[in-house]
Amino acid sequence: MPDIRTFFGAKGGASAPKPAPKQEEPAKKSRAKGRKVVEDSEEDEPVEVKKPTKPAPKKKTAAPTEVKGVEISASNYFASSKSNPAKTESSNTTPKATPNATPKATSKTQVRPGVEVRMSPRTKKTAEPAQNGKPTTQRKSTTAYQKHDQYDDDAFMDDDDDAGDDIYVPDSKRQKRKNDEYVEEESEEEFLPKPKRVASRADRPPKVEPEDDKPTPKKKAPAPAKKRKSPVTDSEEDEDIKPAKKAAPAKPRAPRAKKGPAEEPDDIKNILDNLPTVDAPDAPPKDPDAKFDWRKGGGGHASAPPMAGAAEIPGGEENCLMGKSFVFTGLLKTISREDGQALVKRYGGKVVTAPSSKTDFVVLGDDAGPSKLRKIKEHGIKTIDEQGLFYLIKTMPANGGTGVGAEKAKQKREEEERKIREEAAKMEEEEKARRAEAEKAAKKAAVARGTAPPAPSQPLSQLWTTKYAPTQISQICGNKGNVERIQSWLKDWPRNRKYDFKMRGSEGLGGYRAIIISGPPGIGKTTAAHLAAKIAGFDVLESNASDSRSKKLVENGVAEVMTNTSLLGYLAGDGKKVDSGKKNIVLIMDEVDGMSAGDRGGVAALAKFCKKTEVPLILICNERRLPKMKPFDHVAYDIKFQRPTVDQIRSRIMTICHREGLRLPPQVINALIEGTNKDIRQIINMLSTAKLDQKTMDFDQSKAMTKAWEKHVVLKPWDICQKLIGGGMFAASSKATLNDKIELYFNDHEFSYLMIQENYLKTKPHSLDTRGLSPREVRYKSLELAEQAADSISNGDLVDRMIHGPQQQWSLMPTHAVFSTVMPASFIAGSFTEQTTFTSWLGNNSKYGKLSRYVREIHSHMRLKASGDHNEVRQQYLPVIWQQLIKRLSVEGREAIQEAIELMDSYYLTRDDFDYIKELALGDCDEGKWPIETQTKAAFTRTYNGMSHPIPFMKASNVIAPKGKSKDMPDLEEAIEEEDDADLVEAVEADDDDELDLAKDKYIKQPKAKGKKATKKTTKADDDDEEDTGKAKAKAKPAAKGRGRPKKS
Amino acid sequence: MALLVDKLRPRSLEELTYHEELSKRLRSLAQCGDFPHLLVYGPSGAGKKTRVVATLKELFGPGVEKIKIDARVFMTSSNRKLEFNIVASVYHMEITPSDVGNYDRVVIQDLLKEVAQTQQVDQAARQKFKVVVINEAENLTRDAQAALRRTMEKYSPNLRLILLANSTSNIIAPIRSRTLLIRVAAPTHDDIRSILAAAAKKEDWPLVEGLNKRIAEESGRNLRKALLMFEAVHAQNEKVTDTTPIPVPDWEVLVGQIAKEITEDRTPARVMQVRAKFYDLLTHCIPASTIIKTLCFKVMPLVDDSLKPGVIHYAAMYEHRIKTGTKAIFHLEAYVLKIMKMVEEYLMSMDM
Repeated sequence: MPDIRTFFGAKGGASAPKPAPKQEEPAKKSRAKGRKVVEDSEEDEPVEVKKPTKPAPKKKTAAPTEVKGVEISASNYFASSKSNPAKTESSNTTPKATPNATPKATSKTQVRPGVEVRMSPRTKKTAEPAQNGKPTTQRKSTTAYQKHDQYDDDAFMDDDDDAGDDIYVPDSKRQKRKNDEYVEEESEEEFLPKPKRVASRADRPPKVEPEDDKPTPKKKAPAPAKKRKSPVTDSEEDEDIKPAKKAAPAKPRAPRAKKGPAEEPDDIKNILDNLPTVDAPDAPPKDPDAKFDWRKGGGGHASAPPMAGAAEIPGGEENCLMGKSFVFTGLLKTISREDGQALVKRYGGKVVTAPSSKTDFVVLGDDAGPSKLRKIKEHGIKTIDEQGLFYLIKTMPANGGTGVGAEKAKQKREEEERKIREEAAKMEEEEKARRAEAEKAAKKAAVARGTAPPAPSQPLSQLWTTKYAPTQISQICGNKGNVERIQSWLKDWPRNRKYDFKMRGSEGLGGYRAIIISGPPGIGKTTAAHLAAKIAGFDVLESNASDSRSKKLVENGVAEVMTNTSLLGYLAGDGKKVDSGKKNIVLIMDEVDGMSAGDRGGVAALAKFCKKTEVPLILICNERRLPKMKPFDHVAYDIKFQRPTVDQIRSRIMTICHREGLRLPPQVINALIEGTNKDIRQIINMLSTAKLDQKTMDFDQSKAMTKAWEKHVVLKPWDICQKLIGGGMFAASSKATLNDKIELYFNDHEFSYLMIQENYLKTKPHSLDTRGLSPREVRYKSLELAEQAADSISNGDLVDRMIHGPQQQWSLMPTHAVFSTVMPASFIAGSFTEQTTFTSWLGNNSKYGKLSRYVREIHSHMRLKASGDHNEVRQQYLPVIWQQLIKRLSVEGREAIQEAIELMDSYYLTRDDFDYIKELALGDCDEGKWPIETQTKAAFTRTYNGMSHPIPFMKASNVIAPKGKSKDMPDLEEAIEEEDDADLVEAVEADDDDELDLAKDKYIKQPKAKGKKATKKTTKADDDDEEDTGKAKAKAKPAAKGRGRPKKS
Repeated sequence: MALLVDKLRPRSLEELTYHEELSKRLRSLAQCGDFPHLLVYGPSGAGKKTRVVATLKELFGPGVEKIKIDARVFMTSSNRKLEFNIVASVYHMEITPSDVGNYDRVVIQDLLKEVAQTQQVDQAARQKFKVVVINEAENLTRDAQAALRRTMEKYSPNLRLILLANSTSNIIAPIRSRTLLIRVAAPTHDDIRSILAAAAKKEDWPLVEGLNKRIAEESGRNLRKALLMFEAVHAQNEKVTDTTPIPVPDWEVLVGQIAKEITEDRTPARVMQVRAKFYDLLTHCIPASTIIKTLCFKVMPLVDDSLKPGVIHYAAMYEHRIKTGTKAIFHLEAYVLKIMKMVEEYLMSMDM
């Protein structure tokens, strides 16, 4: 026995914490087996019965490890008799599988249906990956074992036959196993341990049960635990989860938990053994076609816990969850998911989003996602509920005790710490060197000047952000590739210039004189640009938002720089050498998106310079996609900085902390990083503040601090809607005040209420208490809620009118917020049953604008003939005209053309109006339902164009403007630019072709084919045009200067 | 080949067939030489415009029939260009200020002043003044109406106004007091029938008395509608009988569908479907108040009598909200949900 243990221990030590959870799964199964066996034996050793049961489970467990062998053996086994088990051993790589697999079996690849039935879904799943994962290694290993098997056979046989008594058998088996493992080990860490354990257990139960008191503490521990647990869990399961699972596989689950962490030291193991676990419900069958709609599942984290506050959150030892990773899924009962995650993080645990083989625990709530459930099954992860989590926290020793995972985490952390110390030391050295040099230089200078050397300077009082600004590329957190790109671009700049930026290079970098760096604040854009320039040997000339950068200043100021060389190329300070090579300048324009109202024309001027700059130009901005940034679109190479990851920042921050003597545990730093949304600068600033009055900081403090420093993030309309309706803000347990909700509206007051209106019918309201109601009543209730919401929205619109109408009562905004957003949301808040969509009001409104223009156009044409306003035209005339035009053309084809045109002419409708009428038709008369044959249409157009048509029109020719009023220039910086050029061109054009100008008039298409009236009009229009062009000419000059509005004839 | 409704339009006061009394009065007004400002109101399809045009002809002679459309461009104070169509003859001009929405004040101010400050060019003209006809006067903004007030008095030597409106409710009192109010009532069913009969005779169509009666009723005493329906029936059917179905305009069909849908299935999901239809109607330029009114009438036969007052009450309420609010769809939805709730409530009470 002892040797076994050592064996396990060694293994466990080697393998990461991951294996543990996996092992559990099989363990459980084996358990079932074990238990059954015991019962059997106790009853009356019916050999046959025993055997089938035993092998079957074994097979199952084996499945993960050895695919082929297992399946076959199972079938074989069922099919036939005892003789098989003996043979099976030979084939097994792992002890577990051994009993059943015969050589024969191994050769067979077929899966028998019987086997499948027997297997619990979970095992099956695990088996699959195993299959895919390592067929090759397995096969190899099998062959290796074959040999062992030969002589092991007997032993195993014995084991099977007289399960109860044989203590030695396991040993021999184990030895064999050991061998196997060695072969397999590299290939497969995860699965191997499992089989071993299972096997041992399989043997064990019989042993243990009869002679309870024994062997090694290790064995003992699991056994009682098992006993204790199984009844409990079973009963529980039976009550709760039975429907969901198949009875047999379900039971063994809980016990497995105990066995899994075999590598853990006793104390931990005890804790884990006692850990109340829950069973994960079966995942619904996977339907490859149907995409899971997570909204339907209750929204997971989106909703508030139903019984929030019911549980007291326990305290625990520091870092007690270290090295453990958790996955949260579903809706927890007593705490919200965020709180749970914070709890885990506080105690040093790791929270991951998706379960994997490395996950230790799954904290399971209601309505867990099916894919997660499937994964849990697959990997056999221990599932607990929040009670289990509390229990863990309460009982686990500090720093995760001596658990394997904890040890590893500890090691890792130590490693990290060591690195940080090194870094810090390096930094210190650097600083020292710098200071020494500065002193030396100062002394030298003093000597040169003949004055006394100045006293050694005090350490500078610098901001931390400056003090710890990266001095090497390696110190930049994240975005390494981008920094390298900047560097290489700078390096190649002179060469590219020689080729006039025609050689674009592999990344296209060579084609640009300027680059534009964009990204969120605080991630080191400016730093990177400076550093890259420094390393590439450029002198930096920086201009930022503190400098005025209007068009003129940019033109004059920057233009001078463009042709300059660095002064440092000619002069140097005392005691320094003139570096004649140092004539390179790079111009860094920081905060380009800060160029705004005051800097009129600056952006456009800058964009122009990007095209012809003679020094490299680095532009930096936060938001690249602003329309204002559009001028840079093709003139500067885009480099987008991403937020670095937590890990990338953490070591840097820890180094700084170490240097400053701040003692922060990693989880606190993590919390800081996450809380600030990975804004390095902000973290450093926070640390420097914290340093003022404290030496350490704990988790809660860091949380509070990040909260206090929280940048106000303006939510997008989608998020507002999601948060209000699906965010549990209206749950009884929610702490959100009315003000909080109103605040949400103000995040985007133009869209929030439209989004609510668009989506308020797509929810399953939480306020709907369906208990004890008939479906009918439920329907009525939900209708009532929707009705209340709609009424409130309708009220909101009235308020909106007060605000945006002539009265401009802006102080009513909060009222509008309540009526249009908060109140409706309060009625229907719940989980979304459909995807939220963007408001369709805007699109429809603009469509309305377009179509109403059509109607007015048609109306204005018909006016000479028809009475009635445009509504009458739309409602009464158009249906009839549609019948006579579109429908007839559609049904009768060419014959109707003549009459159709006659009708149109009688109402002065143009060819365009024909299309408008088509588009305006609705419902059954919709465009698509009455297609006009292409031929007919072409013929219609031809005929129409071939004829002359009466035109009741005089084109608008002269602009009547209030005279004497000089028009203010629009305060748009871009407007000027465009106008300058456009006006000139236009004026010239107008000069050139008066005659053509007529052609532009859409009503004067064919001057020759005009009716009498029309010709008269044309001449008139002509006159007007001439007059106008004259005017335009006169205007052309001032316009060119950027004054005056475009006057087009 | 214009449609009947325009082909058969009476051109002079003599040709008008109904409201004889009114025609007589208009004639005497036109002849007395001191023509007042008029505010002609009445439901659409009653013949307001026709009467006004006939009166103008009475005033100025056949010259008013030579009309053209003149498109002018106005510049608003915020530098926006507005294109504006004016129907004009030498003697009069006809404008629809509501075409330019909220900028109607600019148009009223600039245009009316311009017209008012110039004298009648034609020395041979029968009247010294010009007439400006303002269509859709009830849609004038308050600003525009205020701009009208003083103009009406100050320039009365050169200018007479004829305002056309569906109702006077939106016209401010000062304007009402400055004008002679003339109400043109909708034609009676008999009026319509006789007109349809006359039209049939002119077109050599067989006289189908029963159908004409139905058309008269269906049209809601809107003569324009009646004539268009009449024409549509005849255009679509070779042979018309008393029972020939009268084609319903596309939008009415759609509103009918909505009415059916919301009374059949009363769930929020159904409202979502109906919302798409509402948007269709609205974007295709069917005014929201027309929709709600039509919907109300279409729902009426589908619900129990006891619910009818509610249906009408809420229709009126939400119609008012549509007028006072900005986003019609909100109110239409609220109305639909109200109806659904009422129907559901009623059905549940029946079951118990």
